[in-house]
Amino acid sequence: MDRANYGSSVSGAGLVWKWQRLLWWIFAINLIFAFLATQGMVDRLSPALDHSKASQYFVKGFDVSQVAALAGQPDSPLQFQAPTVIHFSVVFMILMLFFTGGILATYVRDERPATGIFFESCGYYFWRFVRLLLYMLLVFLPIGGLGALTGVMHNRIDERSISPFPAVHFVEAAALVILFLMIVIRIWFDMAQVIAVAEDEKRMHKALRLAFGLFFRNFFTLLWIYLRASIVACLVVGLCLYLWMMKLNPASTVTAFFLSQFMVLVWIATRLWQRASEAVWYRRHAPVVLPEPVWTPPPVIAPIAMAEPEPYIPPTT
Amino acid sequence: MRLAGLSCVILGCAIFGATCSATYSAPLPAQAPAGPLVVHPAPVPPSDEKTLSVRVVAYSIDAKLDPTKHTIDATETLTYRNLTGKPQQTFPFHMYLNAFQPQSTFMTEVRRAGTRGSGPDSDWDPKHLGSITMDKLEAEGSGDLTSKMEFIHPDDDNAEDRTVFQVTLSKPVAPGSSVTFHMTFRDQLPEVVERTGYKRDFDMVGQWFPKVGVWWKDAWNCHQFHANSEFFADFGTFDVKITLPQNEIVGAGGDLVSSHPNSDGTKTVAYHSEDVHDFSWAASPSFTQRDDSWDGPNGPVAIHILMSPGNMATYPRYLSNLKGTLRLFNDWYGPYAYDRITLIDPPHGALDAGGMEYPTLITAGTAWNMPKGVLAPEGVTEHEFGHQYWYGMVATNEFEEAWLDEGINSYTEVKVMDALYGKNTSTLAFGFAQMGEHGQQRAGYLSSADSDAIAQFAWKYRNSNSYGAITYGKTATVLATLEKVIGEDTLRQAIHTYFMRYRFTHPTSQDFIKTVEEVSGKDLKWYFDQAVYGTNVFDYEIDDAHSDPLKWWDTSMAHPKPADGIYRTYVTVRRKGDFIFPVDVEIKFDDGTTTTEHWDGKDRWFRYQYDRKAQIVSAEIDPQSQLYLDRNFFNNSYVEQGDARATHKFRNLWVFVSEWLSQLLAWLT
Repeated sequence: MDRANYGSSVSGAGLVWKWQRLLWWIFAINLIFAFLATQGMVDRLSPALDHSKASQYFVKGFDVSQVAALAGQPDSPLQFQAPTVIHFSVVFMILMLFFTGGILATYVRDERPATGIFFESCGYYFWRFVRLLLYMLLVFLPIGGLGALTGVMHNRIDERSISPFPAVHFVEAAALVILFLMIVIRIWFDMAQVIAVAEDEKRMHKALRLAFGLFFRNFFTLLWIYLRASIVACLVVGLCLYLWMMKLNPASTVTAFFLSQFMVLVWIATRLWQRASEAVWYRRHAPVVLPEPVWTPPPVIAPIAMAEPEPYIPPTT
Repeated sequence: MRLAGLSCVILGCAIFGATCSATYSAPLPAQAPAGPLVVHPAPVPPSDEKTLSVRVVAYSIDAKLDPTKHTIDATETLTYRNLTGKPQQTFPFHMYLNAFQPQSTFMTEVRRAGTRGSGPDSDWDPKHLGSITMDKLEAEGSGDLTSKMEFIHPDDDNAEDRTVFQVTLSKPVAPGSSVTFHMTFRDQLPEVVERTGYKRDFDMVGQWFPKVGVWWKDAWNCHQFHANSEFFADFGTFDVKITLPQNEIVGAGGDLVSSHPNSDGTKTVAYHSEDVHDFSWAASPSFTQRDDSWDGPNGPVAIHILMSPGNMATYPRYLSNLKGTLRLFNDWYGPYAYDRITLIDPPHGALDAGGMEYPTLITAGTAWNMPKGVLAPEGVTEHEFGHQYWYGMVATNEFEEAWLDEGINSYTEVKVMDALYGKNTSTLAFGFAQMGEHGQQRAGYLSSADSDAIAQFAWKYRNSNSYGAITYGKTATVLATLEKVIGEDTLRQAIHTYFMRYRFTHPTSQDFIKTVEEVSGKDLKWYFDQAVYGTNVFDYEIDDAHSDPLKWWDTSMAHPKPADGIYRTYVTVRRKGDFIFPVDVEIKFDDGTTTTEHWDGKDRWFRYQYDRKAQIVSAEIDPQSQLYLDRNFFNNSYVEQGDARATHKFRNLWVFVSEWLSQLLAWLT
């Protein structure tokens, strides 16, 4: 890792900090959506639990059999919320796709994301990023195939091997490979998005081609920029999970809430950190001519040409 | 047998005779004559003199395993002692392995309503094909009867089912005398299904030989193999020789008598077992065998544990649980009668062979990565060992009264596991999540609380889920709730009496119920009629609880505290289900006083009213939390001062999950 790359990560973190309103807004939207998605369940749970002594099964610990008992009631307040949760998650994803243009424009230009400017950028790049998403899903198809193949191979090895470990180790290795490929693809598309913004590149296949060359010429540098942030996030989230699950008093619901939200915040910040670092790196290492702002410049209001008043000539007598 | 995620119970009716004493007259499908029949000397004539059981049967089997084809070629000599009190000329036999064929009753039921284990699939897979073929059947005094074998189907009209056949001798066997059968048969083991079969180099050989039915309630009891049923057989002796490659390690339900190598690279191991009603064995060259022992009141009990590759980390858990279970069963219910117990740990991919009981041999189940906080290996070990009592020694009819083995066993599982690992952590023991056996059994029951009565033939349940929920979970819950009526110690004493009285016999549901009534000195018909023979749902709730100023109309009274300080408190309790049970209602007031009411629970609702200088703090049905049968614990109490922490905890979890799902999707953008 050279000093410059280190600088990209630090500068990226600085950008995230500097324009942290982006982080807080994303976090807030995510949280609000999650609250809305779970509100129906809470509306049913509250009358059942809030005035019942049996709720202590969940306060002083977390008795899984009582969860099953609650879920097994004919009119269970724990009716599965998956459809609502999925709907809100999909809407959030679309929103993030929309916001990505504004976020990247902010990081690439390092300019204050005023509301109007931000949303104009969001709209300006939205369809480009929709196309990129479609390309990405196409690229992920073989990865999905690889996953399915891994399953088949696992079953075959497991079927034949007397020890369970060859199949287990095979899956572990395959999972690492798949994860690595997914990260590589993600970085490639991240760079394509940066190029689309930095160069105002409208042709996404060209942006992908340029990003491909750029990424694979600087493979380890960009990989490490991405991985560094990921590792930090995993460590922090892992530690928080450990504290939440193993150390926290089961009755401390408020602390648990803040801890869980801190994890989400860290994760969102990490993703922004990765994007900002990639943008900074591109700015420093790519021969880029920053485009004019995408937003419509305010019209130049020409001064109204007014006729020079004729000099007052006092009447002569 | 243990069901995943459930514990269970069943009560069987005594309506049996009409079903099984039918005259079987269909012509026998022709059997291809086989080679010369190898006739063993008849086993030692059965005698019940100084024996633990009345020995009706004596089996002598000589088997040869082909571990590549997973076939067994065997000869069997069965001496049957006619203790029926009547001359017997027609004898039914089980051919269980024929269940694993697509047209069988077993597979038909699996296709319709699932099965207890994970396989076979409802879509037929030829690898699950199993069969037992009788090459020759002779009876001394009647000659070759092979051509007279007749497959019968006493439980349904499935002419394709070949799991029971009968044969008629040339002359009846007089009461008190014996008849000896000589058989030559061949097994094709399926890939592991329903606790039997092979996986790679592992062979689990259970229900593998022609087994004679039981004369019970004045009729032959010989049911077909069903998707939801187990077994029933007479006590006797088993002498079994097994020939197999020398590298095979064998675990079997008998004492090892001899083991000698043969010149062809095989070895022959011989086992003897007595006062048991079945014999099974397992073999694999990949087993690692560990031996230990436990000192019981009748002397040492040899413990043989055969571990599969990758699972050795679980060995100490199996051993510790076996010893703890042996100790508690001996202390609580009665002495373990045998000098051995063998535990088979199935290999990965063969968990369907796990969680099964045979006399003095059990199969457990684990995984290489089993966390210590998941007490599944302990639970399954305890459960299967418990069957040595409830099935092994107290040999109830599992076809008709499965609750007497699976259900009572699930209840004793609760007691033993809770004693060994803690009441709230005997199934799951993590800092962030816990589960006790009580809760696990109850959750199982709640999943199908009103779908079937406990007293039901095993294959007549609505589906396999209901069979599991009711037979295991509901029975355990019914007995746990019975503690409230007669006391935990009394129930333990009753079960001890039941065991001591009926070990090595075939007791019925009524035998169990009468024993409990006798020991407790109470008429419990009202309870068992609802809990065992009915489908009534048990659900009591606090319908309303609040305090009002007595002179609520007097506006001069300052709210919230009236000037005279007197409140009228109402507590309305309600019976939501049809199950009638007397309940205690505890009402607490804010002056520190507590009132406990006893409601007979017969009416649909009842209202208590109090005028006192205190407001209500809480009202609670069953304050000792002993009524496990109650379908809904959450409506059993009302606390005036609400506590939303549980709701917040659920919300936290779901919000967190929802946010992460959003982040996962957003990663794609």
